[in-house]
Amino acid sequence: MLPHDVTHLHLLLNHVPTVGTMIGLGLFVMSFVRRSDHLRHISLEVLYLIALATLPAYVSGLAAQAQVIGRPDVSESAIVAHHDRAMVSFMLIEITGFVAWLGLWQYRRLARMAAWVSPAILALGVVTFVVVGDAATVGGEIRHPEIKLDEAAVTAGGWFPAANVAELVTTNPWVWPAAEALHFLGLSLLFGVLFAVNLRLMGGLRGVSFAALHRLLPWAMLGFGVNLVTGMMFTIAAADQYITNTPFHWKIAFMMMAGANLLYLTVYDKLWELKAGQDPVFLDRAIAMSAVALWIGVIYAGRMLPFLGDAF
Amino acid sequence: MMNLYTWLEATSLSIWVREAPTIWAFATIITLHTFGMGVLVGASAVLDLRLLGIARTIPLGPLSTLYRVMWAGFWLNLVTGSLLFAADATSRGTQWLFFVKMSFVVLGVVATVRIRKHVYGGNAEPTTVDATARRLAVVSLAAWVLATTSGRLLAYVQ
Repeated sequence: MLPHDVTHLHLLLNHVPTVGTMIGLGLFVMSFVRRSDHLRHISLEVLYLIALATLPAYVSGLAAQAQVIGRPDVSESAIVAHHDRAMVSFMLIEITGFVAWLGLWQYRRLARMAAWVSPAILALGVVTFVVVGDAATVGGEIRHPEIKLDEAAVTAGGWFPAANVAELVTTNPWVWPAAEALHFLGLSLLFGVLFAVNLRLMGGLRGVSFAALHRLLPWAMLGFGVNLVTGMMFTIAAADQYITNTPFHWKIAFMMMAGANLLYLTVYDKLWELKAGQDPVFLDRAIAMSAVALWIGVIYAGRMLPFLGDAF
Repeated sequence: MMNLYTWLEATSLSIWVREAPTIWAFATIITLHTFGMGVLVGASAVLDLRLLGIARTIPLGPLSTLYRVMWAGFWLNLVTGSLLFAADATSRGTQWLFFVKMSFVVLGVVATVRIRKHVYGGNAEPTTVDATARRLAVVSLAAWVLATTSGRLLAYVQ
């Protein structure tokens, strides 16, 4: 049965960051024990995909928060404490996913990763695991009175409160417009680079090898990163505008699929081997066209938020 | 000038763009304008980055294909931009930031066209990038960044 509301959806998705980090980090450590490059790549791919899937986990939490806060049977302080920890977990998981992606990109290009990548993944993974575990424990306090900790344990900490992010965005009148401008610049960079790379797979730019275009991918990732940061600033500061907005749900769904495509462009052997002058096969063309359509879908749903949605 | 703006704003097309209670008027036009921006600025950024030394293994010759992509984005935005301007001519036409934006758009187009002449003018398969091409790439990149920023800020500045 599918979850019938956002709170149930969050109860389903909240396992992704915790269990996912454990599996990704576990495979990563295992790859050193077994001295397996192959396993290391898989672990990095898992960490990247977990970072993608953590986006709906976090956003569904914002929606669940709006739905249950104020009810007499849920603890508001536990919700706030959970959100503070969840936001930091979300940031750590995204950074880990980004570093994992960078490692995969380097490996594809140079047949080895930079020396700092593995220690960084290990350190980030361990810190993330601790923080996300804490977020999950405090999250359990929201509606599990049978395992209740004392109140002090719930309200303690919060060294980087989500409320501060919301305040930063809403009290400085220039922050929102500046973030919007950056969001549009990130959009252009992301779309421009990925359009060029996918154009090669759709039959254009035939004189360029795929490997040469692969060099541009970190610039797309930079655009993605800028837009993730600015986009989450909007979402955290004005959650009500987004969480019940249908085009926002579409936008996240398109982003998941397009983000998975970005991983495919980064690591897939057959694409890497496409030489200058070689024609892409039918499947390459179909996937590239879908990817471009998905990114257009992300832009469309994003720009249509105030018009198709009922907010703003 | 104000008379022209007032007339422009009162045409039935402008009224439709501004007031029609349909998703296909203002909402779709501004979304297409955003999409055209991504196409034009994005494709231009790819060429500029290459000229500035990023991804040197990409041969310059085939990259001239991007000019077709850029022009598609440009024409889409000229049409949608004109419609958006006509719909709000009296406010846009008197907004200093709008003219700042348009100046950067003109600068961006001029730099982009000059890059084409300079890099591809004498040779369809250029192999080297000289200092002039790099300077033009910096101008183009900066112009599009500033045009995008000032364009986005139009929604927030009076």
